[in-house]
Order: sequence, then C-alpha cells, then structure tokens
Amino acid sequence: MSAVIEVRDLKREYITTKGWVKRKKEIIHAVNGITFEVQEGEIFGLLGQNGAGKTTTIKMLITLLAPTSGECKVLGFRTFGEEDNIRKRINFIFGGEMGVYRRLSARDNLKYFANLYHIDFPVASKRIEEILDLVGLSDKADLLVETYSKGMVQRLQIARGLINDPDILFMDEPTVGLDPLGARMLRDIIKKLKEKGKTVLLTTHYMYEADELCDRIAIINKGKLVALDTPNNLKHMVNGISSIEVLVGEASEQLISEIKNIRGVKSVSASVNEKGNIIYIKHKSDCDISGTLFDVLKNKKITSFTQKEITLEDVYIQLVEEN
Amino acid sequence: MKQLIVIWDTLRLQMKNSFVRPMYRFCLIAAPIVQTILLYEMYKNSGQDNFTTYVMLGGGLMGLWSCICFSSAGDINRERSMGTLSLIFVTPANFSTIIFGKVLGNTVLSLGTLIISFLTAKIVYHAPIMVVSPGFLLLSIFAAVICFITISICLAYLLTLSRKTQLYMNCIEIPVILLCGFVFPVEILPVWVLPISYALSPTWAVKLIRLSVSGVDNRMEYFTILGILGCITMIYIVLSIFLCRTIEKQVRMKATLEVS
Repeated sequence: MSAVIEVRDLKREYITTKGWVKRKKEIIHAVNGITFEVQEGEIFGLLGQNGAGKTTTIKMLITLLAPTSGECKVLGFRTFGEEDNIRKRINFIFGGEMGVYRRLSARDNLKYFANLYHIDFPVASKRIEEILDLVGLSDKADLLVETYSKGMVQRLQIARGLINDPDILFMDEPTVGLDPLGARMLRDIIKKLKEKGKTVLLTTHYMYEADELCDRIAIINKGKLVALDTPNNLKHMVNGISSIEVLVGEASEQLISEIKNIRGVKSVSASVNEKGNIIYIKHKSDCDISGTLFDVLKNKKITSFTQKEITLEDVYIQLVEEN
Repeated sequence: MKQLIVIWDTLRLQMKNSFVRPMYRFCLIAAPIVQTILLYEMYKNSGQDNFTTYVMLGGGLMGLWSCICFSSAGDINRERSMGTLSLIFVTPANFSTIIFGKVLGNTVLSLGTLIISFLTAKIVYHAPIMVVSPGFLLLSIFAAVICFITISICLAYLLTLSRKTQLYMNCIEIPVILLCGFVFPVEILPVWVLPISYALSPTWAVKLIRLSVSGVDNRMEYFTILGILGCITMIYIVLSIFLCRTIEKQVRMKATLEVS
C-alpha cells in the first residue's frame, strides 16, 4: 500500500480584521502543524471538537483552501498548484443541507455535476441510476430538491459525492441530519467503498461510527494532532482506567464532589435521561472503588450499576481534556 | 467539446434557476414595463423626433443591466449561500468556463427586457418605432451583448473575492445606467465624469444602438465607435483573464468561497 494523502507540518491561518478606524488584525491558527499519512484503501477518521481544525484540513485536501505553510499532497500532487491532477479523482460530502441546487430535481443536480466532472453521457446516465438506487432516492429523483426532507437532501449529497466514482472520498460529518436508517446506509456505502479499494477520509462526532468504520483515527485538538492510531491501540492508550456508570434517582453537586474525592477516581460527570440521573465515573483500574462508592451512594436510590469497557469516546474525552 | 457541454449545461441551469426567482422575474418583466412607461412620460414633451425609440431602448437597456447586475453578480452570493460555489469550484471543469456559462445564460435571458420594453411602447402608447438601419442595429445589439458578457465576467470574478456582494451590486447598478447614457446622451454629463463614461464599454454600445436607430449616414463614424467598443472589450477580456488567474488563487488563500 502507498500513501495517497501526505500531510506534513500543515498550517492554515485565517486573518480577520476588527474595527473601523483602528483596524486590528487577528490571526486564527485553525490548523497548527499537523502531520499524517493515509494509505490507499484505508478508512481514516479525523476526530476533534468543533473548531479543532478538521474541516479546514479537509478543505485543504480537496483543493478548496490554500495551506498557509507545510506540505499537503493528495495522490502525489500538491493540493495548491497541482490541483488539476487531483480534482477529477476525488470527491467530498459535507454534512448538512447545503451544496445542492434546490430548484432542480435530484436527477438534474446529478446530471449537472456529472458534466462538471466531464463524465461521458452514457456512463453518467447509468451511474446516476445506480447511485440514486443506492441512496434510496430513485422514486423521488424527479421531484424538486426544495420539496425534500433534510435526510433526503443529505442522501442527495452522498449521491453527488459518488458521481465521479472517486479514488478518494472526503466526508465531513456525513451522517449529520440522517435518520438511523440513512446513517446505516451511509456506513454500508463506506464499507463497500473500502471493499472496492477506495480511500475514505471522514470526520464525525459519533465515536461509535468512527470505531466501527475507521482503520486508523487521528484526534485533533486546537489545530494540533494529539493522537493517531488504530481504534484498538487508542483504547489501550488509556489502559489502567476503568469506567463505571451508575443510574441514581438524584445526583446533587455534593454527591458528585464526594465521588470525586474517592481515592483512585480520575473523573466524574453526570447527565439526565428519562430514567433518572446517570453518573459516569472513570477510575484507576488498580483501585477498587466499589466499596467506598457504595458507601457514598448508600442512601441514594440506585437503579443500575454497570462496570463498562473503555470506549473510543472515553479515549477521546481524556485526550482532549489533557490537551 | 467537454467545455462546450459545461457551458451549455451551466447556461440551461442558470436560466432555470434565475427565472424561478421572483426578484429576477421582476427585473426581467416588471421593471422594463415600468421604466418604459416612466421614460415615455418624461420624454413625450421633449420635442425630440423618434423619442419612442429612445424610450424603448432606454427602458430595455436599464432592465438588461439590472438583470445582469442582480444575476451575474448576485448569483455568486446565492451560490455561496447555497454552498454550491465551493462545490463547482473544485470540480475538474474550469471555473472560468462555469462563470462564462452562467453569464451567457443570464445575458441571453435578460435580452427579454428589450422585447418587453418594445412591446410596452407598442401596446401601451401605440408608439411608432422606426429603425433606420436595421442591419446595423442587429450588429450593434450583438456587439452590446458581447460587451455586457465581458463586463459581467469581470464583475462576477471581482465579487467572488468578497462576501459583501449585495452591497457592491447595489452600488453599481444606478451609476452605470447614468454614466453609460442608457436614457440620455453622456455628453450632457459634467466634463470630469466623461472619462469614466468613456472607459465603460456599455457607453459605446449604447452609442452604436442609437446611431443604428437614427440611421447610419456616416459609416466611418459607426465603425470608429465599433472599433473603440472592440478595443475596450478586448481590454475587459484581458482583465478577465488576469482576474481569473489571480482570483482563483486569492479565493483559496482568503477563503471567500463560503459563507463565514
């Protein structure tokens, strides 16, 4: 396998100006020196908080933005200066409802983009039918996109991203706005693309999605790369940490504070659902906190008590908090 | 061939997208009717012969320019808001080819303003419209279309650079109508304004159309104006090529292809 995406010490700054009389320049370091490679046929995940620099990185890779400095190559060509060699072999899908002509039908949208990708008419016609079928829009293909639901627009986005049968597909939060069936359909499409030897680079906020799909994952925080490995190896990074979830009737700040004070506890957080309050506790694996924890919770109504495996989400939260 | 397909498809898409917008329909249909009526009322006591031709052309050209202004320029902003500007930019099709297709589509559709203005003058006022040199008029209209296409391409490129498109296109609509003499001869403008008028190609296109309507007695004069229009249009074409090369890099450095 060879590297089809090469990123070395990549930086991207945005300059904004404020004020009318005394104009003040502000430089935002959206991407601040990241380095990674993606191999051919790999599904590569970019995880990070909002504003971490994931979308900016993708935009540089798809030739939409120029890097401020560093190396950014796709299929062996520089994304700024040699973009003509890249554009016909890649495509991208951005999450959300933008990026389609709402006053055209889905079929007309796809026909137009097929022309922009210089796809011959017979090939395009056949491919459009296949893709519409794949994303489940065949029976609504001739309706105007403005009559579509959010999920249908997102499916059309996916179809548009596949129109040129790209070697590399970039996806920025592609399952945003999709219902569970749509999200599963997209995950199946990504798996099929991998079977066909295609490379996929995706960003997502859904950790289970990244865990299920990605061969390797890079975690970005504040424009810097904080981890890069396979999902399993990333989970091992936080080895020595165990996780407990307790469902209780009440979770006051005092209770949370008392749990935090238990020896061996690394972090405590709480959320509310329809069944009650869930307390999430991370503790050192070599410290058995259950006895002390039950003492703290003895007068509380405990509905459930679960010892959990470390998930990618735990790793992600820990890495982002540490950085 | 592939570029021609892109131009043709973009042209069709542009016409479809433009026509469904109420604002565009207003500029295309309602504005020339209102402008023709207002101009007729203003000119009817002017004592000029053949003033209805002036009115018809003035109303039509004003409508044509408004359509171009609010479409060729405004479309950049609309595409940016829809999130499609960045999509079309990174396709293998040349961005300048796509812009050309859009501008061509708009200009062809916008020529409807001339017909609507003509019909308004004819139906509402039963105006006698005399074109003394119809052959020259056809040539003049063709030259005007080329001139409007090149100026639109320059505008579309310049407006790709900024997100304040709406502001700029509102700023240029009326001044161009006045500076280029769409409804009165530019010679009545202050002398210090004339160099600006003469630097704008529509000024010469309007002169050609007027001359064709009133009759080309002096062919030398007609072809001199046509030559000047050709020279200015060539300058605009060179400027478009320069803008195309510069701006395609600049938008990627400044990140202005998307809504911030």
